[in-house]
Amino acid sequence: MSECRQTIDSLPAFADGLLQPDERRAIERHLAACPPCRRLADDERSGRRVLRHAASTLLVEPLPPGLQGRCEALVRAGQGSRAALSDMRPWWRVRLVPVLLAVVVMIFTASAFFSLATRRSDALLAAQLTADHSKCFKLFAPAAGVTADPQNIEHVLSEQYGRNVHVPPSSTDDDIQLIGARRCLYGDGLVPHVMYRVHGQDVSLFVLPGTERKPDDLVTLGHRSQIWSRDGTTFVLVTPADTGDLAGASRYVMREAR
Amino acid sequence: MFRRRQPADADTFGAEILRYLEPLYATALRLTRNRADAEDLVQDTVVKALRFSDRFERGTNLRAWLSTILHNTWRNRLRDAGREAAAIEVDSSLVEEAEATADDSQRAETPEQLLLRNTLDADLRAALDELPDIFRQAVWLRDVEEFSYAEIAKMLDVPIGTVMSRISRGRRLLLDQLRKTKATA
Repeated sequence: MSECRQTIDSLPAFADGLLQPDERRAIERHLAACPPCRRLADDERSGRRVLRHAASTLLVEPLPPGLQGRCEALVRAGQGSRAALSDMRPWWRVRLVPVLLAVVVMIFTASAFFSLATRRSDALLAAQLTADHSKCFKLFAPAAGVTADPQNIEHVLSEQYGRNVHVPPSSTDDDIQLIGARRCLYGDGLVPHVMYRVHGQDVSLFVLPGTERKPDDLVTLGHRSQIWSRDGTTFVLVTPADTGDLAGASRYVMREAR
Repeated sequence: MFRRRQPADADTFGAEILRYLEPLYATALRLTRNRADAEDLVQDTVVKALRFSDRFERGTNLRAWLSTILHNTWRNRLRDAGREAAAIEVDSSLVEEAEATADDSQRAETPEQLLLRNTLDADLRAALDELPDIFRQAVWLRDVEEFSYAEIAKMLDVPIGTVMSRISRGRRLLLDQLRKTKATA
């Protein structure tokens, strides 16, 4: 390996002051004799210094409105599900006396734990998708009266995800309007988020391809999340809670989405 | 048997996470260069932190742990979106071009003098945003968040040599970008 190559490879550690004294002296000797490498070393140190100098201010960025509230809500949802889990434990511990009973209790507890674990996972899924629902409608909802073409959305989703999703179109019978779609982030993947308006209320359909979940229906952060799976895809319908007139539209979306 | 955080601990843990929202958002914004995606990334980080709270070792650095989750998540998104490969392809030519254009006329002002003129934060943010994703993430992790090479290598799932090379090129590209900004100012 040439001396220049060796020097260039060591420049980050040299700039960071992480080399052993003899290594550092060897680099310094080369830099004194080699102007091109010296320029690279100068730039490396300067780039580093600019960043280190500004590091504390770079890490300060005013939070956008709503993010703090959504994260607080996620924390509350997480705490709630953990509390539910912790409530289970003393129950079986105090009854773990006779061996036979202990076995029965253990089996029961295991199934209850898995059930709760699923609920916990559903609660977090629902909380995050509800947060996404609120954010997307706040930032991206089109003006009132604007409708979207389901075929366009299906085409875009097919191009982006390589998977055909049937997007329930607007339906006058159920007073449901398809108003748009965007890509939302959940887990490590991007999740199609289809946006509707029903009787003036914001309604979201999230599509999680490649996952199967047991059906669930839960309320979190003031919104109802209905979870179901079909043909290897999980759907989550998020609607405002405490609104009675969305049942027809919900049934329509759950029937049509695939 | 599974380990479990005490309920009081859970409250504290959640409150502690919320304390770090601002630096997390600042990091997410630099990585994504987009406010909506940055919000998504922060939310996703909070959800994962809550989901995997049992894996956090008490007494260790929570901010670093949260940051690791955030960077991991972002790396996976780059990978899924195919942007990581694209950034690597651009790597060599971009660096060579940058180094070739850094001629003597642009060097009338030495790097140290350039620094002494106090780069504006807005200029620095804009220059960072111009870097390809992999270099921007590498210099941010090292010089802003002060992770070690080994920690960064683990986070990004690449060898330490690759981490060092990305940091090095990122720093030089950043300086070149700042020079361009000042030349056009």
